[in-house]
Amino acid sequence: MSELLFYAMAVIALLGGLGVIFSKSPMGSVLSLLGSFFALAVIYLLAGFHFMAAVQILVYAGAIMVLFLFVIMLLNLGGMGTRFELSAAPLTRARSQIAAAVAAGVGLAGLIAVQRASLPRIAQGGAPERIDDINQIAIALFGRYSLPFQAVSVLLLTTMVAVLVLAKRRTRESGQ
Amino acid sequence: MEVPLPLIWLVKIVVIFGGLVSTAALMSLAERKVSAWMQYRIGPNRVGPFGLLQPLADGVKFIFKEELIPAGANKFMFRLAPALSAAPAMLTMAVIPIGGTVVLGEYSIPLSIADVDIGVLFLLAFSGLSIYGVILGGWASNSKYSLLGGLRASAQMISYELTLILTILAVVALEGTLNLRTISENQQHVGEWNIWTQPLAFVLFTITMFAETNRHPFDFAECEPELVGGFHTEYSAMRFALYFLGEYCAMTVLSCLNATLFLGGPSVPFWPEAPWFVGIAAFCLKAGFFLFLFLWVRWSLPRMRFDQLMRLGWKVFLPLALANLLITGGFIAFGAH
Amino acid sequence: MVIVQRKELTLAERLYLPEIFRGLSITFRKFFEKPITRQYPEEPLPTDEVTRGQPRLVVKDDGNIACVSCGMCEIACPAYAITIDGGETDRQIEREPKRFEIDMLRCILCGFCEEACPKDAIFMSNELELADYTRRGLIYDMEKLKRPKSALQPRIDYVYKINKRWRRTQA
Repeated sequence: MSELLFYAMAVIALLGGLGVIFSKSPMGSVLSLLGSFFALAVIYLLAGFHFMAAVQILVYAGAIMVLFLFVIMLLNLGGMGTRFELSAAPLTRARSQIAAAVAAGVGLAGLIAVQRASLPRIAQGGAPERIDDINQIAIALFGRYSLPFQAVSVLLLTTMVAVLVLAKRRTRESGQ
Repeated sequence: MEVPLPLIWLVKIVVIFGGLVSTAALMSLAERKVSAWMQYRIGPNRVGPFGLLQPLADGVKFIFKEELIPAGANKFMFRLAPALSAAPAMLTMAVIPIGGTVVLGEYSIPLSIADVDIGVLFLLAFSGLSIYGVILGGWASNSKYSLLGGLRASAQMISYELTLILTILAVVALEGTLNLRTISENQQHVGEWNIWTQPLAFVLFTITMFAETNRHPFDFAECEPELVGGFHTEYSAMRFALYFLGEYCAMTVLSCLNATLFLGGPSVPFWPEAPWFVGIAAFCLKAGFFLFLFLWVRWSLPRMRFDQLMRLGWKVFLPLALANLLITGGFIAFGAH
Repeated sequence: MVIVQRKELTLAERLYLPEIFRGLSITFRKFFEKPITRQYPEEPLPTDEVTRGQPRLVVKDDGNIACVSCGMCEIACPAYAITIDGGETDRQIEREPKRFEIDMLRCILCGFCEEACPKDAIFMSNELELADYTRRGLIYDMEKLKRPKSALQPRIDYVYKINKRWRRTQA
């Protein structure tokens, strides 16, 4: 039963992911992503990570995707009539090809790492003991892993600054 | 140790969800009755004694009305949105403990559908989802009023969800658990009610409740003078009714949550050994008070302006909630506990 | 141009909450006051002789209507609501209507027919309710219009009172 549910959810998550890439309208992408998140949350639940599942829905589905929707609606990209012109032009440039290759390589490395690491898997009979205890999570997050935690925050901050810089330069160019 | 008999589960689900939906239905009557009484009127009194069957008549009317889908609307999303608005609101009721534990023969039955350790998180996660119904409904209608209503609702709910979560977090930090049943059981005596230790959180939560459910004086998502009907301008018949059902269910659930978090849930003042049915009655009274507050405020206060709402949310409530959380944390870390 | 000086708010007013509670307490007090609603079909509005309702034909005490089908009301009617077909009768007045219809959908309750009638045969009653499933049903024939004189007496007296300057005799 739970195995069946897992595969169903996995298929939905993957389909949602594909929908994000291939949907012609931004609204469709956002909704596909939403479906994908829900499927992921169910998978977390199946694995016994109740806390993760709730946070997944609370943070990603409940807050971040709402912001996405908000921005799309505010920028008036939302109409299903709006279509992005997909063109292969960027992929012909050498620089872009290198970037794509690097991204693909990192992804592949990640996959191999996950495959080889001894992470708890659903097939091996449920989650380890006490993984769901919030106290344990908090202690781990702010104790043993506080440095990586802070590093992730810094990474996010960097991303934010980078996005600001990129967006700003673009407006100046288009303004001239 | 109780035996989770399927029958008991079924009865609990039917009773609690039936109660929730009939509360929502009765709220639509109460809304009109309360507004009438406050304006020297009588209100609906034609269907059944005191108009008590009015919701039924309304339901029949909604079912038989013609369903309109505007041209240019995204049909799939348009049909899906009302369900997205109502379903999460009903789901969240599952984790609310409406009473203590009933002992029937050899079974002891906890009076909540699901007794999960992350009850508060579950509730927050799903109540946050009901906004999708509003946004998508507003967007899929292909109407400017609906779109504006949806936009306003999303901005408003994102802003106020922060305050809501932070105020709840203060209580959770104090209780040291996310389990709503444990939280309500920890407040057996009046002196233990969280309203005494968290008065600011109580006030903030109560006001944020109004913003989260898009009720007066924060009902910018529908704001009749400006947006016709807001996000549900284009909706008719049963789908329109579903939005209302969702709104009333969300109000009911938040009222129950408020009663559980701050007023001790089913605990009866000065009678800690009260039997379970008295506990349920006390719980209903407490939740009923907040439900009445929703109506009372709606028919008393004018609607705010949108910029006032945003200023209140980000510049007043959020800092207050943060400060409250900080002080609570300080007390827990260094206080007398 | 008028420059409106905004009133400086006191601290209590700027805190919102006290003022909100003041407003709430006002509505709560209204909660217990007596409603002023009138339950219409069960409690109809009071009418008196001044009420100018739908026109009705007077049936005299001997059972005949007072109308002699002179057609004055038909001419006076600004809405062309009245239709009369005259006919003869053996009674002393010699003429009576064979058909007397008022289209209630056209009638504007102006009372001109009442003023025009030389025989005190048509008066504005205190009947105001008008409903039917067909338009045909709202064209009232003579049977629907007949009312005993006693029922219309207050109105008749009232009309005589206000027209005392012109009328000399009562029919």
